[in-house]
Amino acid sequence: MHESTLIRFRSEIRHFYLITVANIVFAALLMAFGISGLVGQAVLIYETFSTVAYVIYSPVVLIIALFAALAGFGWILTSVRVFEGIEAIKDELDEKRGVVSDEDLTRLIVSMLSHYRDNRATIRTMILVCTLGGVCSFFLGVLGSLEFLSVSTDGIVFTLNNYLVIPFMLLTLGVALVSLASSSYFSRFARVWDERLDEIGESEALLKETLELDRR
Amino acid sequence: MSGRRTAFEIYWEILVFCRTSQSFTGIVNRCNLNSKTGQEYLGFLVVKEYLVEVADGDKIRYVSTERAGEYIALFNSLYRKLFDTAPRFKL
Repeated sequence: MHESTLIRFRSEIRHFYLITVANIVFAALLMAFGISGLVGQAVLIYETFSTVAYVIYSPVVLIIALFAALAGFGWILTSVRVFEGIEAIKDELDEKRGVVSDEDLTRLIVSMLSHYRDNRATIRTMILVCTLGGVCSFFLGVLGSLEFLSVSTDGIVFTLNNYLVIPFMLLTLGVALVSLASSSYFSRFARVWDERLDEIGESEALLKETLELDRR
Repeated sequence: MSGRRTAFEIYWEILVFCRTSQSFTGIVNRCNLNSKTGQEYLGFLVVKEYLVEVADGDKIRYVSTERAGEYIALFNSLYRKLFDTAPRFKL
């Protein structure tokens, strides 16, 4: 029983660790895209008002870029907080390699439960931030690469800005997909650990009885 | 260990740590408690005879009793059981 518990626990910690690392990387990318979008729009705003040219900046891209930069920043902060706790637990598991005593394993499980209790609200926020980041990234990728878009009853017509923009668009769409996938994984993780907390709540009656708290 | 823990988790941690005799300061540091809550937890475990006080010169040290083994074993099995049943998280 101990072996299977250890294998499952180790695999869960590793999977969650990978998601948090991916989150930090993609949050940084989203923030970078947001900032690059903001800088690009700032240049276009300057050109619009300093020359006699037409208005060439896009307020929609500007707002989405601002949202993306802020969401990316918030996403990094929340991911790092969760990452630190998971990293400590994973490092301890890795240090012990194959030999983990019953008590060490229980201690790590308790650590994980207490880390989850501490970060329950943060993980809920991450689910929202990941979704928001994904949506921002998606629109930033699509809008940033479009030169012309027309939606009519005859159909949708669009032209791309430049072939050079396509890799950027694919990258932002990739970030969007990863962040939406992360959001889904965080939801699943939260659901599993919420159920475990409920189970622990039920088990407490037995522990209470053993400790004779009722007769205190 | 730090973070939000239940009283049962703290009792378990104290009892496991006190398998070899420990000082009050050692327990409080290891279990990340303040001295007030530390005294409450230790007092409770001593009253319930899960811990005994042992004089070591002019200092008092704490050691888990045989009764503590029952609680530790039950706690271990309950927490490990969390991973024996579905659901589980994976990518």
